[in-house]
Amino acid sequence: MKNYYVKRILSAIVTLFIIATMTFFMMKLMPGGPFARERPISAELLEVLEEKYNLNDPIFVQYYKYMIGIVQLDFGNSYKELGVDVTEQIFLKFPISLRLGLYATILVILIGLPIGIISALKQNTWVDHAAMLVATVGVTIPSFVMAVVYISLVAGTLGWVDAFGLDKWTSYIGPVIALSTYSLSFTSRLTRSSMLEVLRQDYMRTARANGLSKFKVLYKHALKNALIPVVTYLGPMFAAIITGSFVVEQVFAIGGIGRYYVDSVSNRDYTMIMGITMFYAAIYIFMVLLVDVAYSWIDPRIRLGKNSGE
Amino acid sequence: MAKILEVKHLVTSFFTHLGEVQAVRDISFSLEKGDILGIVGESGSGKSVTSLSVIGLVDDPGEIVSGAVLFEGEDLTKLSDRELNKYRGDEISMIFQDPMTSINPVYTIGNQIIEVIRAHSDMNHLEAKARAIELLDLVGIPEPVTRLKSYPHEFSGGMRQRVLIAMALSNNPKLLIADEPTTALDVTIQAQILDLMRNLQAKMGASIIFITHDLGVIAEICNKVIVMYGGKIMEKADIMSLYEKPQHPYTQGLMQSVPKPETGQKKRLVPIVGSPPDLLKPPSGCPFSPRCKYAMEVCLKESAPLYKISSTQFASCWLHDKEAPVVEGFVKCEPVLDEEAEVIL
Amino acid sequence: MVSKMRDFKFVDSSKEMDKEQIRESLTYWKDVWRRLKGNVVAVIGLIGVILVILFGVVGPMLSPYYFSDQITDFAYLTPTLDVFQITNVDDGDSENYFVHLNNDYRLLLISEDGHVLERLIYTGRDRANFIYFYDYEGEEIAVDYSKRTDDEYTGDIDYTITFRGEETLYPTKTVWNKTFLLGSDHLGRDILCRLMYGARISLTVAFVAATVNLLIGVAYGSISGFKGGTIDNLMMRIVDIINSIPLVIYVILLMVLLDKSNMWTIIIALGSVYWVGMARLVRGQILSLKDLEFVLAARTLGVSQGKIITKHLIPNAIGPILVSLTMMIPTAIFTEAFLSFIGIGMSAPAASWGTMANEAISLLEKYPYQLMLPSLAIGITVLSFNFLGDGLRSALDPRLRKG
Repeated sequence: MKNYYVKRILSAIVTLFIIATMTFFMMKLMPGGPFARERPISAELLEVLEEKYNLNDPIFVQYYKYMIGIVQLDFGNSYKELGVDVTEQIFLKFPISLRLGLYATILVILIGLPIGIISALKQNTWVDHAAMLVATVGVTIPSFVMAVVYISLVAGTLGWVDAFGLDKWTSYIGPVIALSTYSLSFTSRLTRSSMLEVLRQDYMRTARANGLSKFKVLYKHALKNALIPVVTYLGPMFAAIITGSFVVEQVFAIGGIGRYYVDSVSNRDYTMIMGITMFYAAIYIFMVLLVDVAYSWIDPRIRLGKNSGE
Repeated sequence: MAKILEVKHLVTSFFTHLGEVQAVRDISFSLEKGDILGIVGESGSGKSVTSLSVIGLVDDPGEIVSGAVLFEGEDLTKLSDRELNKYRGDEISMIFQDPMTSINPVYTIGNQIIEVIRAHSDMNHLEAKARAIELLDLVGIPEPVTRLKSYPHEFSGGMRQRVLIAMALSNNPKLLIADEPTTALDVTIQAQILDLMRNLQAKMGASIIFITHDLGVIAEICNKVIVMYGGKIMEKADIMSLYEKPQHPYTQGLMQSVPKPETGQKKRLVPIVGSPPDLLKPPSGCPFSPRCKYAMEVCLKESAPLYKISSTQFASCWLHDKEAPVVEGFVKCEPVLDEEAEVIL
Repeated sequence: MVSKMRDFKFVDSSKEMDKEQIRESLTYWKDVWRRLKGNVVAVIGLIGVILVILFGVVGPMLSPYYFSDQITDFAYLTPTLDVFQITNVDDGDSENYFVHLNNDYRLLLISEDGHVLERLIYTGRDRANFIYFYDYEGEEIAVDYSKRTDDEYTGDIDYTITFRGEETLYPTKTVWNKTFLLGSDHLGRDILCRLMYGARISLTVAFVAATVNLLIGVAYGSISGFKGGTIDNLMMRIVDIINSIPLVIYVILLMVLLDKSNMWTIIIALGSVYWVGMARLVRGQILSLKDLEFVLAARTLGVSQGKIITKHLIPNAIGPILVSLTMMIPTAIFTEAFLSFIGIGMSAPAASWGTMANEAISLLEKYPYQLMLPSLAIGITVLSFNFLGDGLRSALDPRLRKG
């Protein structure tokens, strides 16, 4: 078992390393040079800047310094806003997005799972059909459409909440809904199909033949098995929430890291782009690792290696 | 001898979107304490559905249309699922065909066995654990104490089936239903499992219903046999009578299509031509008649009643009627009019 | 005892009695189509897809506009117009004319059936009484919007038109905007036309990118699966590494790298990344197929490896490949819209649904239709493809095969 975890952690580190390298070289390839601006900078300033940003060193030295910096969590300074430290900005803006993401995740689990389970139990009844129709729509509606509909309806026409910013607790409703819609719908569909699959299994029949109560049969025997694929989905779900935040923060005018990333991209602020990309990559890989651990807890076949019988 | 199980005129159908599939079409039989009853038939004969009907596990879109299943006098068909749960795993147990998929993979077998024990008794965890170890030992699993903590995927097929048997026997059931328990295992393991079942039956005095398509297995452990075809019973008899002088064309056909090394002669294997009937539109009359070489006009129109060949052998075939032509191998006798009174099987 | 008359005669065995159950055999694809047809949701999806394709392909040919044509005077017009009648044939005028005031206080002259004729020039205002004046053929039209700005006012008058001494309190009627069927955007471009060109963009990007992903993915996956061993391990490691961060991030980075925001860069960006899903799927399929006996038979006959892959293995894996392809399309559409929306996709004046949404965000409060329409277009298109893909997946599931 330990072997499995060690392998996964090493794998994660190697991946991060490769991505850091990739981002470094991509950055070097960016057209226009880092200091191209509308208003040209004076030659002396340019020289100072180039020195500061190590641009005069041979490429491998730059690479080395870059990597060292990353390990120390120093992503350098913003290219566009001189004097602004990338790492600082990340840690300033990240908590806001984190909060939204957490709320969205909670919503997904608290609503998505039960809907999926109930739909599976009441397969082919109107409850099932209705829930799945809503879920299918939820999966296909892009997050910005959701956000837009919410704003124009709830904030605009009905005027119940403020549309933008995060001043009051009610302002969280819109962004969290927009952020969680896709994942919630996907989770309920996944849970449902997984549950249906499990209910058909032979071991369910064994449990019933052994006279176990319906409750036990469902919640003990069915659920744990049904949740396995759902836990596996958690990884991609984080990805969806991360990318969802780009749009949602923009539409709802929230100052999180998602919006900041998009702005950096529009501004071609290369160090910022790379820094935030690395940050996202690291978080994502970490989350996937956590999910893998959770997954191996639930399914003993993974933990102990399949077919370890005689 | 007390009858532990009486199935009376059981009819079970599946109401699918294509129509009603009549899986079991008026079956009656009974079991006494200590019997090992074999139910033999091809796929689609209704043998599995019969056993599921007894234990009440016929699922949507199927249901028991009519008939009674009397277990020690109590009609199980009239009980709710909850009430049935008290019987299942306790007084009536069932094991199924594929051991590889029949145990929940995410819990230890100890967990699952203890669960069944505690569901039907007052034992606390430690007592149940001790009992579980006892059971594993009983079914022949080595190192039971450590194996309690093992997961199903750590066992081979034969071992898993033993575990399932242990689960089924954990509360000393009076009736064990085994639906093709050895079909998915290879022959040597099959022999071991059959031995195990025989021993356990002797020790615990349980009655067994053993469902299979394999005549060889029937010969090994059953004392009574029911031959089913197309949802109906073709013949029911004690084991010796069935093998020595089968009284139904289908049974005879089955016997002839199985190689018997003991005879010493070189005989051609005779397969039964044709295929099983479509249960969506079951034929009126005897279900076997389209394939029967002795078929008569009456066979196509009307199902034969049970003819009493002896007090322990009955066959549903018009050839036994006094008015039918004489055919060698088929005894003339009287039809059973009052099943309740006369039928012992 | 009454005995029934029973016929104990032997049946003539030459009669054909036991006909084996023969039902019309269904080929694989006939069965798939049959199941797909029966699935209501999938059929709706299919219809939706066909409509969207028609919309994008045929639509622009039918439109009198080009997507970049702009009539700035006619900007910010809604699809339906509340109009006030100002001239009446019954009163001796030559035609019935109407006026419409939009949310930016432009007054436009509208014909009887809803065509936008011209913008009437603003001539002055009466600040105190909240009145604007406009000129129509030398005559003055006054627009009184005092009720609109009065917080205390509870009635339902929005603004009133006074012409030739007569004040009209309520709109005469509501007409469909015949000049711009779905309204006009902030630059006076026809939204319907732009939606149609947007459909073209979305569909082109989606289909081409999906095809590229298909080709790369199938090639990569089948080689990896077929070769097995270390090659497979290596190839899958690469896929794993690529997959370890959300693919959208790559696309974003690539767009920044390529620096030109047009359809082809988007296609390249999408095509370089999304093939990994297909590759993994194909590899899985190949792995489970290559040990089957028909492959062994082919190899014994000396069929070359390439032919085995292309002629035997891939055709048998077509089902999941097809489903995957159908699902790639809405992903591509959505991603393109997403990129354009956040500003790194298509750039103005291109009419991508994403750019339209982007341009309309700031106008949300005053002109919600400008954002709703492209959003709806994206939603409906993606929904249709997803319904179809879902239906295909169910229809292709061999476990559900009957007959």
